[in-house]
Amino acid sequence: MPRPGATWSVTLEQLAQQLVNGVLIGLVYSLLAIGLTLIWGVMNVLNFAHGDFLMIGMFLSYWLYALAGVDPLFSVPINAVALFLLGVLIYRFVISKVMKGPPLAQLVVTFGVSIFLSNLAALIWTPDFRTIGHSMLTGTWDVSGIELSIPRLVTAIGSVLASLGILWFLRKTRTGKAILAVEMDREAALIMGINAERINSLSFGIGSALTGVAGAMLATYYYIYPFVGGTFGLICFCIVALGGFGSIEGAFIAGILVGVVETLGGYLLDPSYKLAIVFAMYLVTVWIRPQGLRGW
Amino acid sequence: MRPALLLAFFFTLLAGIESAAAQQKVIKIGALYPLTGNLAATGMDCKRGVDLAVDIINGKYDLNLPLANQEGIPSLDHAKIEVVYADTKGDPKNGLAEAERLITEEKVVALIGAYQSAVTKTASQAAERLKVPFVCSDSSSPTLTERGFEYFFRVSPHDGTMARNQFEFLKDLETKKGVKVKTIALIYENTEFGSNVAKQQRNYAKEFGYDIVADIAYPANASDVTSEVGKIIAAKPDVVMHAAYITDAILFTKTFKEMNLVPQGFLNMAGYIESDYLPTVKADGNYFLVRSTFALDLAHKKPLVGQVADLYQKKYNIPMGENTARSFTAPFVLADAFNRAKSTDSDAVVKALLATNIPGDQLINPWKGIQFDPKTHQNIYASAMLVQIQDQTYYTVWPSDAASRDVIWPFPAWKDRK
Amino acid sequence: MVGVRDITAKQMTAGGAVLALLIVLPLFCSPFAQHVMILTCLIAMCGVAWNVMGGYAGMFSFGQAAFFGIGAYTSSYLLLTFDVSPWIGLVAGGVISSLLAAAIGYPCSNLRGHYFAIASIAFAEIVRIVFTNWQMVGAAEGLTIPMLKESLAHFMFHSSKLPYYFIILAFLLLALAVCRWVSTSKMGYYFRAIKEGHEIAQVLGVDVVRYRLYAIMISAFLTSMAGTFYAQYILYIDPDSVMVLPISVQIVLVAMLGGANTVLGPVIGAAILVPLSEYSRAWLGYKGTGMDMIIYGTLITLISMYQPNGVWGAITNLKRGSK
Repeated sequence: MPRPGATWSVTLEQLAQQLVNGVLIGLVYSLLAIGLTLIWGVMNVLNFAHGDFLMIGMFLSYWLYALAGVDPLFSVPINAVALFLLGVLIYRFVISKVMKGPPLAQLVVTFGVSIFLSNLAALIWTPDFRTIGHSMLTGTWDVSGIELSIPRLVTAIGSVLASLGILWFLRKTRTGKAILAVEMDREAALIMGINAERINSLSFGIGSALTGVAGAMLATYYYIYPFVGGTFGLICFCIVALGGFGSIEGAFIAGILVGVVETLGGYLLDPSYKLAIVFAMYLVTVWIRPQGLRGW
Repeated sequence: MRPALLLAFFFTLLAGIESAAAQQKVIKIGALYPLTGNLAATGMDCKRGVDLAVDIINGKYDLNLPLANQEGIPSLDHAKIEVVYADTKGDPKNGLAEAERLITEEKVVALIGAYQSAVTKTASQAAERLKVPFVCSDSSSPTLTERGFEYFFRVSPHDGTMARNQFEFLKDLETKKGVKVKTIALIYENTEFGSNVAKQQRNYAKEFGYDIVADIAYPANASDVTSEVGKIIAAKPDVVMHAAYITDAILFTKTFKEMNLVPQGFLNMAGYIESDYLPTVKADGNYFLVRSTFALDLAHKKPLVGQVADLYQKKYNIPMGENTARSFTAPFVLADAFNRAKSTDSDAVVKALLATNIPGDQLINPWKGIQFDPKTHQNIYASAMLVQIQDQTYYTVWPSDAASRDVIWPFPAWKDRK
Repeated sequence: MVGVRDITAKQMTAGGAVLALLIVLPLFCSPFAQHVMILTCLIAMCGVAWNVMGGYAGMFSFGQAAFFGIGAYTSSYLLLTFDVSPWIGLVAGGVISSLLAAAIGYPCSNLRGHYFAIASIAFAEIVRIVFTNWQMVGAAEGLTIPMLKESLAHFMFHSSKLPYYFIILAFLLLALAVCRWVSTSKMGYYFRAIKEGHEIAQVLGVDVVRYRLYAIMISAFLTSMAGTFYAQYILYIDPDSVMVLPISVQIVLVAMLGGANTVLGPVIGAAILVPLSEYSRAWLGYKGTGMDMIIYGTLITLISMYQPNGVWGAITNLKRGSK
């Protein structure tokens, strides 16, 4: 065994620190996963370019900061609108054309979009790394021995708010209910006169808008470069599937769960295996419950 | 009559072009780097270094670099060097394919590159098969010079040497400053680079008498590193040694600060000296120590460094970094070999390379010189210095004859900084 | 569009002509072109293997890289440690891959659609992470295959790429034969029933689980063979070069772009995608603009939009239309 075990003992405080951080990163995952699961639930499309939309959101916040001095927190609404529009455009001009085709084409087309977007970003903005130097949110808060990074905390809170907002929208507004209806039973919804194309386009837009929100908040403490989408992309798919096809609550819970398992697993066992632990958790879950935690 | 005249005119023209071309002889060398993809920023750094070197070789510069003050390669009729670049995208199979393509289709007479050791491995295998010299000055895996290859030469130090340098520094610190270090935490990204470095560090730690209290590998593209930093904190090490690429260097820096990890010192590799690192983390990068084969402050002891760095800054409007400085050196080694061999024939060049003896004052790197071990073809004088980031700039702090500033030790607590 | 056809005399002559061309062409090509042809056959083979479980049986696997890597590692490890011939290692790798495929396929066999795809990714990533940390097989540093004297027995050639090319061409033909046999046999019929919906298949009396496992095992064995070839060709493997997601994605891409439930589809797909990506990298890559990847991404998007049944589908439609 070339790696001697570390000679440390686990204190409650350190465990609590890891747990808290797991929840904080988990909430970021949740926000991303909700957007993805909405798209999946409504259209049965797995958007492999989701991470790249996040990247665009992060860059948008960066340029607003670098060129116009806009604090990333204020770029949240701007990002939401911009990414909403981008989502709708991509749906209209690319995805909708594949909706009538074989499911494999629907999977593959978003791969193409992903490769296109990340490399276009590298071409236009160069592959260099950027960060936002001074946002309103910096520093850490020491809460009885546990270090809480303020940007992360705010991002996590923002994620909770956004998730609640989406849930409210889906359950309480007419359009939202129409989206839910299409998610649950597409045929029946069509018969009831719901315009499926409009719902599709709207859902893709909303899912993308959420990546814009996540991007703005992540930009306050994460590094930004054209291929940053890949870092979050894969784990998002796992979360969405774990949570269950189309279930917003499922994605939310699964996000937090994965964040915690990844962090605690990495801490208590071996960080190089932490992703394997997450994937194993996914496999075991779907073996027991093939439709994910809250899917139908 | 007219067609004959035209024909004559045409042939004269051709002859004229032929002779002109003969005087404009060009020596093509191939350069393999990750010019797109994840490590594109680094690949471009390397490319700029090579471009500047070739500029200097081909032109007339009043610099104390090999062949700088004459145009081209003097003994080959002042033939100029032309670099043909190939993008490896960081994939070993592309390294193989591009190396072969450059040799068989572009007819390059030598290769340089390829930064990532895994890519250099396969590319140099192709060069060995095709019997073409490969001069590497930017890949650090020790295994590259352990293969008994005839045509492969490495100018820069490998991870074994550099790990040893890190421990020599620690020992120096202990004797000269009365610092007490007993425990070390190793943390490294889990690909060929990081795990190799860790292997070397484990061996030297044992040799130098230090205890490794944490040995943590992490996935290269992690989105969050709180668990890793948490483990280091729990192990309470005196010194943390981190082998990282740039993305993890940035992420860990932020996490070290967030989670308030304050060991006596950090001895790091690679990512912390990438050109994009300091502009991204700014003041948070202060007080990290990084192994390096170049620093701008070497100009104090060696004016040549300042002259070259200025040239680079003028040409590209960015400061010269370590990757650039490493890749910068390979073209000179080749040019010097071509010149002494008076030929670009592979075996003659290899013979000349084996006899290379470039003195240290003709290098921008802090080495005694370049001389290759006859068996391994590793530059016996290659070694690393330790630089420390102070005031958001890299300053050489070790060895003492190259140092421009004193090392700041221990690592000042995050909360105590302004 | 279903791939069940009797081979007509006309098709045989056409096939024979193409084969003759494929055999003769590389003799006149530069080593780089030969390399491109070798890679094309390699990916095509993996695409054909994917088709057996994906195109025909409807299980969209995005984890084929796991089998590719296991094949590469098995033969290399056996060669380095026990001096076992790579040919035996080839079979050993294939067997291990199939068994592993069955082991993972069984509990996953009732996963639908996207869940299966993600499960395949999860599985492949777990395999990759395990190999990255497994000291016995070199962990993150990988394995270097030693340069032995060139011979068929050593499965290694230095003076020319042609023997490599003919071997991978033979492998591809084998895969095509297997795929064709699967598609025209009873098994293929069951596969298609499973693809339509396994309730239907069950009504028809098909042992869904068993046939799914057959599909997965055949697919894994063939992919594993390709992995062994890769190791013997490139002479260096590490988890990052043989077990990563982009390999799995490329395999799916060539199958889909060529035509996902036709025998020859993946070959066409590979013949388009591989030279495109290799030559655009060679011609455009050195500038560092990433233009080659932008073109690649655009092409994938466009083909998915306008030729979702793959290029082969388009060609056959043309042929049908002209009748």
